[in-house]
Amino acid sequence: MRLKQAQASGNTVLRKKNVFSRMLAQWDLQILLVPGILLVLLFSYVPMYGVVMGFQDFQLGDFPGFSQWVGFKHFQTMFADKYFGLAMRNTLVISALKMFIGFPLPILFAVLLNEMNFQPLKKTVQTVSYLPHFISWVVCATLMFDLMSTDGGAINEFLMWIGVVKEPIGFFTEGKYFWGITLCTDIWKELGWNAIIFISAITSISQDMYEAADIDGATRAQKMWHITIKSIKPTIILMFIFQVGGILNANFDQIMMLTKQMGNSMLKEYADVLDTFIYRLGVSQGRFSFAAAAGLFKSIVNFALLLGSNYVAGKFGEAQLF
Amino acid sequence: MAKNPNKIRAKRVASDYVIDIIMIVTIVLVLVLTLYPFLNALAISLNDSNDTTLGGLTIYPRKFTWRNYELVFTNQKIWMAYFITIARTVIGTVGGVLITGMLAFAISRTNLVGKKVYAMLCLIPMYFGGGLMPTYFLILNLGLKNNFLVYIIPALVNLWNMILMRSYFQSLPEALEESALIDGANYITIFFKIYFPLSTPIIATIALYFGVQHWNDWFQANLYITQDYLKPMQNVLLGIVNEAKFAEQMASAGMGVTIDANMLKGKETNVRSITMATMFVTIIPIIIVYPFLQRYFVKGIMIGSVKG
Repeated sequence: MRLKQAQASGNTVLRKKNVFSRMLAQWDLQILLVPGILLVLLFSYVPMYGVVMGFQDFQLGDFPGFSQWVGFKHFQTMFADKYFGLAMRNTLVISALKMFIGFPLPILFAVLLNEMNFQPLKKTVQTVSYLPHFISWVVCATLMFDLMSTDGGAINEFLMWIGVVKEPIGFFTEGKYFWGITLCTDIWKELGWNAIIFISAITSISQDMYEAADIDGATRAQKMWHITIKSIKPTIILMFIFQVGGILNANFDQIMMLTKQMGNSMLKEYADVLDTFIYRLGVSQGRFSFAAAAGLFKSIVNFALLLGSNYVAGKFGEAQLF
Repeated sequence: MAKNPNKIRAKRVASDYVIDIIMIVTIVLVLVLTLYPFLNALAISLNDSNDTTLGGLTIYPRKFTWRNYELVFTNQKIWMAYFITIARTVIGTVGGVLITGMLAFAISRTNLVGKKVYAMLCLIPMYFGGGLMPTYFLILNLGLKNNFLVYIIPALVNLWNMILMRSYFQSLPEALEESALIDGANYITIFFKIYFPLSTPIIATIALYFGVQHWNDWFQANLYITQDYLKPMQNVLLGIVNEAKFAEQMASAGMGVTIDANMLKGKETNVRSITMATMFVTIIPIIIVYPFLQRYFVKGIMIGSVKG
């Protein structure tokens, strides 16, 4: 009773001492997380405090957070900025393409691979399909520039050989191809890797279900749909939540590399996404506060989308992130 | 898969064969489309550069030569960049696995005082970040500009990797910890002598993640490093690609610029061959390593997907 009263009246001194002495008693365990937690505080939380520069006019040399306050000025400028609108459009289009075309393909690949019974080939395909994931976008873009070059690039040679086009296509000189290129290179790079999680989900499906379906005379297509895909639905939904939460991340590395760090001005109209917009403002043009405001906007929208899709998944009684 | 004699063989219908065909086509397509760009690049890098300009090179070199690689390795810049890349990958991976692993282990213990607070501290940054600008000024204020440590320190803790490791440690039997505590071991010993050696699959996976992240990173150097001798391979390759395209554009405009003065001083070769050779030098270690770690990272992803 006394203890309860003490806690209720907020005798924090006593409690703090308690926690502290309990921590001290397990110093050997606490010490293991000290470096990690300090680094998280420094590199994750200090920048979170740093977002106040989005509401200020930060000048070089200012102590962070102690510049002139300007309220929502940068946000107003941003929403009025023509390039912000363009970046928003490109981000959303590229994300939508990746979501509606890029997302289902690894699932399809995993399900088809499951139908393969010749193990050596199955293993080989898997190993090969992971390869591009481990290669940087710098290297990937190097390969793509070569493949898509107008001067003897394999893709143009092939298209001319089968007679689809007469003249080589200038993939990187005309903006209109860029969205397609972004989608295709992304699929090329991540198909196998993104399929792993679905493949491992499939391997945990009980074989009994397939055998029972065999007895009932189910066709393969029916088994694929009613057993395989239905069983991995929670995994699919979980991955989709992540995908929605990342709508505003239109793969910075990829876009930067394919546009030669935005140096290819012919592509800008279709290639400038939020991340490159922020990078350009902040690093190239030195409009630090403006860039910080845009970055904060992006973080908040992403976070809201993640919570939103998580909530919707929960509403429908599906797998949730938290 | 071993043939099970008791397995009931369902009668195959037409749609079953259609699925077979779709499956085979998909697999062949994935194999060819994935491998062709690499094999083509390899062929270019191993082919005589004058011969390459004639075009029509596919997946094997027509006039075999090591010349392009010799040229790449006579460049002092490449050696330095390779050294920087290896150094940051080794130090960054060992440090990252250690610091992230220690954090993951501590958070995985049920009797950790302040567990909820620590877990919350780690959860928030996974979904919300301060963004590029605040981070940029933090790094500058820490004096990490043009400092090798900018590659290492900010990347020591990766919270996504931490969650994977935590799930793994949680899955190990608690009796391990209890019996060691009874024998008078402290948690530092328990972690390094008992849990660490028992966690090969997850450590291999996380080491691979850290390693690949360090090996492939170009952005840190792009933002914070202006001195050439501190630049890693990726940035050197980037420089060559950009200069090459610039040189090509100039040449096609009839201005006859001398191609990448540093790289090819007075040597007869073609930008494309050098680019591809440099690219292969950049990716060879990764291509060699990842297949051996495959069984680990597939398992590692499975652990991560079963959310703890």
